[in-house]
Amino acid sequence: MNARILVVDDDTALAEMIGIVLRAEGFEPFFCEDGALAVDAFHSSRPDLVLLDLMLPGMDGIEICARIREESGIPIIMLTAKSDTADVVKGLESGADDYVVKPFNPKELVARVRTRLRPTPATTTGTLQIGDLVLDVTGHEVKRGDSKINLTPLEFELLLALALKPQQVFTREMLLEQVWGYHYKADTRLVNVHVQRLRAKVEEDPDNPRIVMTVRGVGYRAGSIT
Amino acid sequence: MRDFDVRAWLHSLARLWRSSLQLRTIAITLVLSGVAVAIIGGYMSYSVGTNLFDAKRTQLESTSATATLAGQGVFDDAAEQLIAEEPDVTMSDAYVVISNAASSGGEIQVAIRRSPADGPGTPLSIQSPGFDSEAFLSPELRAAVQDSAEDRTHSQSVALDVDGVTQPGLVVGSTLDVRGAQYELYLVYNLLDTQQTLGFVQQTLVLGGLALVLLIGAVTYVVVRLVVGPVQLAAETSERLAAGQLEVRIPVRGEDVIATLARSFNGMAASLQNQITRLAALSQVQQRFVSDVSHELRTPLTTIRLAGDVLYDQRETFPPATARTAELLHTQVERFELLLADLLEMSRYDAGAVDMETEPTNLVRLVEDAIESVASLAASKGSDLRLVAPGGYFEAEVDSRRIRRILQNLLGNAIDHGEGKPIVVWVDSDQHAVAIAVRDYGVGMTPAAMDRVFDRFWRADPSRQRVTGGTGLGLAIALEDAALHGGWLEVWSADGQGSCFRLTIPRVRGMVLQSSPLELPPDEPEVFDA
Repeated sequence: MNARILVVDDDTALAEMIGIVLRAEGFEPFFCEDGALAVDAFHSSRPDLVLLDLMLPGMDGIEICARIREESGIPIIMLTAKSDTADVVKGLESGADDYVVKPFNPKELVARVRTRLRPTPATTTGTLQIGDLVLDVTGHEVKRGDSKINLTPLEFELLLALALKPQQVFTREMLLEQVWGYHYKADTRLVNVHVQRLRAKVEEDPDNPRIVMTVRGVGYRAGSIT
Repeated sequence: MRDFDVRAWLHSLARLWRSSLQLRTIAITLVLSGVAVAIIGGYMSYSVGTNLFDAKRTQLESTSATATLAGQGVFDDAAEQLIAEEPDVTMSDAYVVISNAASSGGEIQVAIRRSPADGPGTPLSIQSPGFDSEAFLSPELRAAVQDSAEDRTHSQSVALDVDGVTQPGLVVGSTLDVRGAQYELYLVYNLLDTQQTLGFVQQTLVLGGLALVLLIGAVTYVVVRLVVGPVQLAAETSERLAAGQLEVRIPVRGEDVIATLARSFNGMAASLQNQITRLAALSQVQQRFVSDVSHELRTPLTTIRLAGDVLYDQRETFPPATARTAELLHTQVERFELLLADLLEMSRYDAGAVDMETEPTNLVRLVEDAIESVASLAASKGSDLRLVAPGGYFEAEVDSRRIRRILQNLLGNAIDHGEGKPIVVWVDSDQHAVAIAVRDYGVGMTPAAMDRVFDRFWRADPSRQRVTGGTGLGLAIALEDAALHGGWLEVWSADGQGSCFRLTIPRVRGMVLQSSPLELPPDEPEVFDA
């Protein structure tokens, strides 16, 4: 079955063009031009991924992103005309997995979409431990004791990447390549923001992390198993 | 040391003199009014003294004349009564009478002398005890008295010696006729009281003069304060205005010339403030506009880009002309995109809306990455890229994205203008700074070109084919990026010998650079074989 992609953009020409590109790649696009209708469109189209413009009439892209995140962990990629720090970080903090800066080219867009839609490589099955957490790789579940922690697929992958190699210190670039699929220098803020979001969910004290440890000047590594 | 102190003191005094209009005005006023008061006081003192003396002399001369008459009367009586008295007794009587008559002029000394000298048949000369004829009677006076007619008196100032203290005195001389013989009568008056009166007057004059000068000084101080105060305020206000406090004004009081000054100053300040605010607003609008335009252009550009790329990907299925069109569209849209990105970055700098995101970065590694990213491009031009890094192996707090952008720009330029010759990149550090230099051995630049190399949209040689497809904003942005780090981006170039760009940034953010760890251009590495 073709992946369903909701394109939320008020510029119809661009939306149509994105549709053409996506269709050519075998995706099934849906469109929404109005921010106020975006959440309804999300409900009705039940997409596998959302492409979300940040500047929208009706409702702000960041607001929509936060609303969708409240009920679903599906991948969200922001389309942004601003590469300014503040807007990008705001978007990522509200739950977007990744962003593409306009003007982008078709390959870039398709690569971003594919990365977010690819199934987790089933190299490992069974369970992994990180800190006091148990990762059920096959079931995409994280548990502390008996309580389940809800993570988005991206957050799960981030945690999994760390848990798979507990001895390894990951630089931000390595994580960008493994989790986001960037094979060239990309925005390390993606890693910073998502590590923060992940910590807020999995750490008992986010200010004093025990699961995702910072290695100053290098990057991150998994906390020791307890 | 002491000499030095005095000199320093004099120096500071001189500075105060130059700097304080108030001090200067008051000092000059004091000196000038002091001189004027001294002249007037001196004249008054002299005039009062002369008048006092003249009046006293006139009075004493008339007293003397009376005494002379009285004395003459004694002698005349004695002669008329033909009393065969001892002439010396008559002389004594006359002495007493004269003394009494003259004593109204104060304490006196009397001398009656035979003129020109004592002779037989006439009474002997008589004089008060202590009468110092040597000191009192000058030859001129005696000659004048001896030659004078009846009833004339002559006077002369003398110095009296009273108990060792010199006091002013006046000698009045006249003639007596004693039985046909001429005698000279000298009366010596003490003028101490007159002198004291004069002294008192002079003292009063001096005190009055001093008080007057001080009063003038005080008045001047007040007047100067009144005039200089507002001027000083105006000076301070204009300094603050110049320092950027555009809202400062001088308080206006009254209708006088100072108020006019204040009003016109305030008017000037207001129009200055208006102008600056307007220009600032205009510049903000302009920057906003550039930024908005850049943003607004992005959405349609994205559509064009997508469309162009879709066409480009299918160009093999098109007839040749259309295929070429798709290719041109593709490359030019890409170029347009780069230009737009640079324009947006530049507008961010112009608007001052730039944030730095520092992270600990190993600059040598960063340079290695940057070199690697342009390696294939360099190889296609035949340039050999080499790195000489004696220092810089530490984690510097820099915005790595910006430093990388600078490096890519410098490397791109070096490859473009390097004519296939080697390109050397140096990295070195010292305790204060870290420097990166990119050197090519290509065409180089003229000094005129060097001056303009950081200008926006300026190109070294418009006819030159560019491989990296620069936008013309690269070095301008690089310069801003360097400045954002508190660093320098400098250029060295010689026609035909290539160019060298040196980036120097402080090790610690916020530190002011003094020097760079690298020469410009750096010394040739020993292993270098061009």
